[in-house]
Amino acid sequence: MRPRSGTQPSAHRRRAGYLFCLPGTAFLALFLAYPLFYNAWTSVHDVKLGQLLGGGGPFNGLDNYRVVVDDPAFWHSVRLSLVFTLGSLAFQFTIGFALALLFARPFPLNGLLRSLLLVAWLLPPVVSGTLFRWLLDAESGAYNALLRAVGPDSLSHDWLTDPSTALAGVVLANIWVGVPFNMLLLLVGLHTIDPELHEAAAIDGAGPWQRFRRITLPLMRPVSVTVLLLGLIYTFKVFDIVFVMTGGGPVDATRVLSLYVYEVFFKFFRFGQGAAAGLLLLVVPLLTGVIYVRRLRREEAAGGAV
Amino acid sequence: MSYTVDRRGFLRTAGAGAAALGLGGALASCSSEESSTVTLTWWDYFTLDNFQPGMNRLIKDIEQGVPDVRIERRTFPFAELDRQITLGAISGDLPDIAIVDNVAMNTLAGSDLLADLTDRVEEWGQADQYYKGPWEGCQVGGKTLGIPNNSNCLALYYNTRMLESAGVRPPTTWDELASAAQRLTSGDRFGLALSAIKTEEGVFQFLPFLWQAGGDLDTFATYGATALSFLDDLIAKGSLSEQCVGWTQQDVNTRFLNQRAAMQINGPWQIPTLKSADFDWDVVALPRDRAAATCLGGENWVVTAKSKHVDKAWEVLEYTQRPSVLVPYLVSFGELPSRKDLADEGTWASDPALRLFLSQLPLARPRRYGPHYADISQTVAEAEQAVLTGSVSASAAAQTAAVKIDKALAAQ
Repeated sequence: MRPRSGTQPSAHRRRAGYLFCLPGTAFLALFLAYPLFYNAWTSVHDVKLGQLLGGGGPFNGLDNYRVVVDDPAFWHSVRLSLVFTLGSLAFQFTIGFALALLFARPFPLNGLLRSLLLVAWLLPPVVSGTLFRWLLDAESGAYNALLRAVGPDSLSHDWLTDPSTALAGVVLANIWVGVPFNMLLLLVGLHTIDPELHEAAAIDGAGPWQRFRRITLPLMRPVSVTVLLLGLIYTFKVFDIVFVMTGGGPVDATRVLSLYVYEVFFKFFRFGQGAAAGLLLLVVPLLTGVIYVRRLRREEAAGGAV
Repeated sequence: MSYTVDRRGFLRTAGAGAAALGLGGALASCSSEESSTVTLTWWDYFTLDNFQPGMNRLIKDIEQGVPDVRIERRTFPFAELDRQITLGAISGDLPDIAIVDNVAMNTLAGSDLLADLTDRVEEWGQADQYYKGPWEGCQVGGKTLGIPNNSNCLALYYNTRMLESAGVRPPTTWDELASAAQRLTSGDRFGLALSAIKTEEGVFQFLPFLWQAGGDLDTFATYGATALSFLDDLIAKGSLSEQCVGWTQQDVNTRFLNQRAAMQINGPWQIPTLKSADFDWDVVALPRDRAAATCLGGENWVVTAKSKHVDKAWEVLEYTQRPSVLVPYLVSFGELPSRKDLADEGTWASDPALRLFLSQLPLARPRRYGPHYADISQTVAEAEQAVLTGSVSASAAAQTAAVKIDKALAAQ
């Protein structure tokens, strides 16, 4: 007799189920839970360079957190991280959406152009960062050459060495990196919309703009929220592209939270405070992650596709 | 330079080749010689191509000259080595030998990560052969924690033809530097190039100005302001590019090579590259204000405290300090010796540019400011960037920085 699906599985099958979960669980325990625990431990101890080996360092309660929260540089980097994330997301999403709409309709070379766009996403961030550092260079950069060609010399600007524009330059590079990811997910979402809906609306006399506002946008809402939540999780902890382009400078104009943590940890060797700041850095992606997972579960329960 | 391949060297090379082909296990089991050989791990940050021939030859030389030793070398990018040592301290995976930036002694010294070489060095008895600055950089809390590998310092390079056609003599004082830089600026060419990047490289280039003004880090509010406003004036007059806040010393040298800077502040390691320039250049001491000063750079050899082969590692270090080994190695690197007895050997005796740098070594000041130097360095870099990008006045930046610096200097 076979057990019917949906009822109690046999003990044998249950054991097999646990067995299949084992590699994943072990992986998560080793590479996620343990470092996270070690980090939390470090964040409540006063750890010096020599004490990293084999542990040690006295317990100091919440002192590390207090120092971090009292540091104006920490809050400065929190603000930068928020501006960096929201700025990146707004443009990545709108440009990604526009491109998805473009690629949703058939035209010659559609496939080729789409895969070319994906290159931006496949490149290692170090490469994209270096590329944009060259592009934005005041003397030899292509952007400035372009600006000089179309307008007066005063248009060209020293983007990355001027504290008031450096963040914009870094955001620009990050937008370029993030657009293909947004486009891809949104394109998949567009394909799930039944074309008959658009046809019916067209017969009823709805123009393209109305169809977009009344049909596409509402139906894309779940996908859009997912894309934005995932983008938030990825973008808030971005390190490499900023590090490569500006190293956090000039002065502290691009020292986002991840760079702040890096400096405290690897430059000043204040391991306890670095660990504390690292945990605080985790707060925003973690909260977003929880919202994301809960949404996912709700939609799966409702039988909707994400 | 050629060297003979002896039987052991041949066997080792053959062995390495065989291992690469996957025969290593079979061969090792029938080799009796390998059993007593000590493998020493070795980390450094000399990743650029032009360092490799000299480094490979040095290692081969060590493996042939020091009995029963094999070197396993790993390289990291400059900024990565400190981080790797930190990570190594967590995981317990540290090398036996490392070549570290002399400024890293500030943070490494109090960490108990380095082996105490005091007794061995005393027995060796060659301490007085070294220049004072490099040697003292290895002394921390009465202990010898390393041996200077090489030294360097900063000087002023200039494009001979540009200075001649502008009728400018190589500057020797700040006033002359400022007026020369201004007269040499034209079109897309800046009079002077230097690095003010937000890393230790930028601080390395800034500290001489502070010292030349007559001060030091503990008097930053006064003399830091003098130095900062001097540089700020250069930018205001257009003699120095505001972009220097993003330039590494390599970038500075590239500007000079492309003839987009008439003068540059840089170190002797640029000489091999500059030799291929298609214009004439020369080098003079950094211009002085109240005092003549330059910053001491270079690397030290260290042995880690947890190494199981401290004696063998010391044997290797001692071996590398023989003139017959050290001279060809340092020459190939374009670096200066830290030993006075080598000043008249190799290219240092004949090359005028190298002689100029060598003559500056006795003036060169080490950056020995205690375990919190990293905070100080960052504070100085940010103050300089804030002033040069026009966000704060020199005196305000110096005041703010001085408070932080004093705190870091006082904390031990």
